[in-house]
Amino acid sequence: MAQGVTIDAAFWGAEAAGIVALERELKRLRRAQSAHAREQARTVARAAVLNLVVYADRELHARRSAQSISDLASRHPSRAIVLLADRGAHEGAEGRLEMHCHLPTAENATQVCYEQILIRARGDADERLASVVIPLLVPDLPVFLWWTGSPPVAGRAFGQLVGLADRLVVDSADFARPEEMLPAIARISAQARGRFGLTDLNWTRLTPWREIVTSFFDVPAWRPFLDTVTGVRVGFAVDMDGRQILPSQALLFIGWLASRLGWRPIEALAPSEAGGLLFAVARADGARIQIRVRPRFERGLADGDVSGVRIQAERDGQQAEFVIKRQPDPRHQTASVLLGGERRWERTMPLPSFEIVELIGEELAIMGSDPTYEEALAALVRLG
Amino acid sequence: MATTVVNPLREGLRLARTPEPSTIVIFGGSGDLTSRKLMPALYNLALQRLLPATFSIVGAARQPLTDKRYRDELHTAVGEHSRTKPLNEEVWRSFAEHLYFVGTPDERGYDTLGQRLDRLDQDLGTNANRLFYLATPPAAYEPIVKAIGAHGLRGSTGWSRVVIEKPFGRDRESARVLTETIHTVFREDEVFRIDHYLGKETVQNILVMRFANGIFEPLWNRQYVDHVQITVAETIGVEERAGYYEQAGAMRDIVQNHLLQLLALVAMEPPAAFDDKSVRDEKVKVLHALRPVDADRLSDHAIRGQYGRGFVEGVAVPAYREEQGVAKDSRTETYVALKCFVDNWRWEGIPFYMRTGKRLPKRSTEIAIQFRVAPHQVFSREASEGLDPNALVLRIQPDEGVSLKFGAKVPVQGIRIRTVNMDFDYGASFMVDAPDAYETLILDALRGDATLFTRRDEVDQQWAFVDPIIDAWATAPAAPPIYEAGTWGPADADALVTADGRAWRKA
Repeated sequence: MAQGVTIDAAFWGAEAAGIVALERELKRLRRAQSAHAREQARTVARAAVLNLVVYADRELHARRSAQSISDLASRHPSRAIVLLADRGAHEGAEGRLEMHCHLPTAENATQVCYEQILIRARGDADERLASVVIPLLVPDLPVFLWWTGSPPVAGRAFGQLVGLADRLVVDSADFARPEEMLPAIARISAQARGRFGLTDLNWTRLTPWREIVTSFFDVPAWRPFLDTVTGVRVGFAVDMDGRQILPSQALLFIGWLASRLGWRPIEALAPSEAGGLLFAVARADGARIQIRVRPRFERGLADGDVSGVRIQAERDGQQAEFVIKRQPDPRHQTASVLLGGERRWERTMPLPSFEIVELIGEELAIMGSDPTYEEALAALVRLG
Repeated sequence: MATTVVNPLREGLRLARTPEPSTIVIFGGSGDLTSRKLMPALYNLALQRLLPATFSIVGAARQPLTDKRYRDELHTAVGEHSRTKPLNEEVWRSFAEHLYFVGTPDERGYDTLGQRLDRLDQDLGTNANRLFYLATPPAAYEPIVKAIGAHGLRGSTGWSRVVIEKPFGRDRESARVLTETIHTVFREDEVFRIDHYLGKETVQNILVMRFANGIFEPLWNRQYVDHVQITVAETIGVEERAGYYEQAGAMRDIVQNHLLQLLALVAMEPPAAFDDKSVRDEKVKVLHALRPVDADRLSDHAIRGQYGRGFVEGVAVPAYREEQGVAKDSRTETYVALKCFVDNWRWEGIPFYMRTGKRLPKRSTEIAIQFRVAPHQVFSREASEGLDPNALVLRIQPDEGVSLKFGAKVPVQGIRIRTVNMDFDYGASFMVDAPDAYETLILDALRGDATLFTRRDEVDQQWAFVDPIIDAWATAPAAPPIYEAGTWGPADADALVTADGRAWRKA
């Protein structure tokens, strides 16, 4: 019999035969944990504020997300259900589900107990996934579905699982073909309205960039330049060989500016460099803005992360440039303003961590969807 | 007057709270409060990227200092007192570039300060938005406010606001005079009187708990509540503050501001909105309804004490009168217990017991709502032996959280009831570090949100309540009774509660 990946029982817990057995095992584990805590004169609170369903099609991804959830437990204790689609194992064979559960203890939060369940779907078991998730959900708590990789928008399992969710979390940084996936996500988000919220972790990574760009134009003297932008340049990180070209994040940034400032598409131009993108758009007053998105090799950045932004504007004959750069040490960014070529203001700020656990943690604190993201996405799709 | 142009990029940003470009001027800029609290708070705001796009800080004090020296001194202080460690040197360097010092030993100094502020406005486009922070001893408040007015330090455009530390006055009259003086330069809506208790997350949580939930408010009245206990207990003694404390005592130091604020938050009616007017209007109504203490029967309502020698947390500590800077025959109270009534529809006849003191056995601030017992006892007396009345306890510090005490069946044959705790631990549910109270309050002041600051009529009513008690004690022949350090205060304080057939909680 062909074997798929081996499940590490030391990590995921022992295998349970069915839902009832799984619930019984969880109860046993909880009691053991409380007894252990009582010996040390502690109490263990069983806490869950949400159901978190993770879909992964590689054990590595499943394990990595499980680790993130463990690290998050102290802030967002949850019942975590990790779905591992192990399709390669039994090509053509009948699907089979395999369940494991354990109670991981988060660092610094040994008094909080939460539950992690692994469901491995071997072979073609996609259509059964929802039926095993439903009985395992803790009632009355919101359901977050975190889909690692590109979601199969038309897939049946995806449709069913999304149907259970109050919020869908994706990461467009993982999208292999953003030019196809971003419009697909835009369609999902249009359908989602009122049914579930949609989060793109890549959008969360942009937050510090959006905040700083916004704060430039809180200064009354600089605000008018926003109406007279002439050019925008956004750089994003690639590895040294330039193999992984992932412009989603940089594109979302452009989409955001376009949606907020009412820019309209004129034409997409052929860029001079490989992996770059060049657009021309029209400002609200009709004037032309040149937009350049280009890949740059930078040490210490994840592929696709925005590495710098430069906004140029001209008003009454005065040139202005608003620049944000990452420091050589990628944990800081420096914002500066140049008027007529002369530096007027500079400030260095820490960049929040982009660890996946931080991103997810931030998103789990928010329930509703983000109309600004939806508008940015829609504007981006229009820019083509 | 410049009109604010909307920034279309701001929409949808989660950080909708960023204040406008501005300058903060700190008087007492080289003092203890600045280096221990204000600067660490400002630096942490910078670290969280919550400061406006263009922002500068100007420290002012009597003795001269160069900008460089000032930055160096604060670098050390912030490194030591910041809640986040270690200091992020990159961010500090950029933060310190916009940190200046101006000496204000005389009138000329204020002119220099004015010129410096004008230049900063020009360089940074801050539109003369200015926040003046008075972090000096109270005696300096009036001269500084007058100087701000006389030297035209308020900018010609933009907004100006003033933040004033506690204590605000030492009685009703002096507080009124101070307000009058301030009003010659600032309108009331530009005056931000700090009570740092209100900046605490858990204090704000009282309002969220009461008014965001549907299940507590129906029980929050005389029909279901037996009484309320508010405790602000400190383990520390007078420390280095003897000079101030000898004049103030626990009544002025804690009761007039912190305790009465907690009382107001617990007893107030639901405000129509969470904004400065609605919230403060409701709080003032509570203070108005607070029954004045009858000076002739003072000991039925107000008990004072002063700590003697004893042991706190295993350490032998001296008596208050043995502390440095304290008079050998000092009559200053270090402990106050009060029984108050809020004479309104909701609370008629329900006692609010409040106590505060130094050198108590443990540090604890909490509010306990003690509910009435069940009207009819279904279970036998033996079965109910372990049953206490229901209590909802809001713990402010330490171990911030909420717990509800109720009876549950002990798992044995037959009925036996024991009181159990349903516990919500703030720290375990939100592992995020709560911001320091000063961060919250400085940010609010920069944004012009006065909800968490004390309004003039609030201060006035607070003094109106405590003044008669302070006066009566001052003229009483006897000194305050001594309680042993490390105990829960003088015996009279127990009598205050036991006389009503109740007891202080084991905090």
